[in-house]
Amino acid sequence: MTEHRIGTREEWEAERSKLLEREKELTRLNDELARQRSELPWVPLDKEYSFETEEGTRTLAELFDGRSQLVVYNFMFGPEYEAGCPVCSSIADSFDGVLAHLAARDVTMICVSRAPIEKLLAYRKRMGWSFNWASSEGSDFNFDFGRSHTVEEVSSFLEGGASPGVSKFAAECGTDPAGFLEEGPGLTAFALADGRAHLTYASTARGLEPLMVYYGVLDRAPMGRNEGQSPEPWFRRHDEYATVG
Amino acid sequence: MPEHTIGTEEEWQAAREELAQLEAEQGERNAEIRKRRRELPWVPVEKDYEFDTEEGRKTLAELFDGRSQLLAYNVMFGPDYELGACPGCTSLADGLDGALVHLRHRDVTPICFSRAPIDRLLAYKQRMGWQFPYVSTYESEFPFDFGLAMTEKQAQGVPEVQEMIDNPPGWLEEWSAQVGAELKDGLREAPGWIAFARENGTVYHTYTVTAPDPFVAPYFNFLLDRTPKPQPEAPRSWRKDEYPD
Repeated sequence: MTEHRIGTREEWEAERSKLLEREKELTRLNDELARQRSELPWVPLDKEYSFETEEGTRTLAELFDGRSQLVVYNFMFGPEYEAGCPVCSSIADSFDGVLAHLAARDVTMICVSRAPIEKLLAYRKRMGWSFNWASSEGSDFNFDFGRSHTVEEVSSFLEGGASPGVSKFAAECGTDPAGFLEEGPGLTAFALADGRAHLTYASTARGLEPLMVYYGVLDRAPMGRNEGQSPEPWFRRHDEYATVG
Repeated sequence: MPEHTIGTEEEWQAAREELAQLEAEQGERNAEIRKRRRELPWVPVEKDYEFDTEEGRKTLAELFDGRSQLLAYNVMFGPDYELGACPGCTSLADGLDGALVHLRHRDVTPICFSRAPIDRLLAYKQRMGWQFPYVSTYESEFPFDFGLAMTEKQAQGVPEVQEMIDNPPGWLEEWSAQVGAELKDGLREAPGWIAFARENGTVYHTYTVTAPDPFVAPYFNFLLDRTPKPQPEAPRSWRKDEYPD
């Protein structure tokens, strides 16, 4: 037996169809959100940003790689990190599966981080990924788009001390909480028009949840996310989970 | 000039903040729906089902592979499909492998089901380079009992399906050619997710969601919802190795 409430097929059907109405309302809200996102103005960028890539130095316009839309995942991997953020790594595990589909729809997707390109490429190799990764080391890009923070900004976040999650992730990245928090995750979208890059959309924190494929699946699993009230982070890099479990 | 409304950074910020309110509302509603999903009654599975897998015949309980939750995506790939699975379902499946290790460490076994014979599923899995377990429901009552497939007679009783067969839109005729099945057979498979729990030797059905639902769509749709340019309305899909250039 189970502690969960057991029902008949008919009871399940009745409750499921009520829930379906709520799910449909949410779908309509999603559609409205998509419509409003598409109405955001495009902001032409005045500054020239340059990045180090596997193939040499590239401007932001060149990162579009011949397409007219660019989606950047701002991967937390600062200059002081020895390895990329475990949560960003779990998100990035799903990128390779979508690249061809996005490219065919005129969208280039890449990751951008502030660590030097050699560190990024070595980590990419370790994780077995193939997506393009650009380094914004020495560029204002991460700061201008609110993805990286100065030491002063970070020390104000840390006034009450680092949470256990932050301390754990910092240690796993080979840095301290202050160094870890200099970077933040994000999704930033750009359009190329008349040879010029335009900012179109940006999102961070909870807005990134749809990128966490496993959350979408867990949200339909019997036990849900099952993280408790104050979740001890369960995310590991895919090669660092205990082999049993 | 770009075809889109151009704005200053301040205008973008103001519009983005307005959008954030709606995104927060969506997040709250989503959290409530997640809670309601977990509150659905569990329905014990009374029948003994067997499936063809890569490792021979297995019962439903054995598909859990030692874990307590089973989440399956039902790929539209019926016995009559001569050319392979539905390209849309195939695109969705392309997004699953990156999440496998993370889900397995949350006590969830992710798999895919299809009704075509196992040899054809495994050949297709190899072609697509997938890792997840792919299980055949060929000649089992399981997909009919759980709303994942319709018999010819059942399909004849659904007016919406008959209408699509009698007056198919262009994209659906194209889809029929892509899978190599007549619509009267092709439309008898239902794309969707199905969830089961296993406790003390009993398997329970907990949740099902079928199309149309935003989660019964490729993962990259979440990204396309955030890119600058609209995608065509007609739901056309291609397998990643068949895109027209």
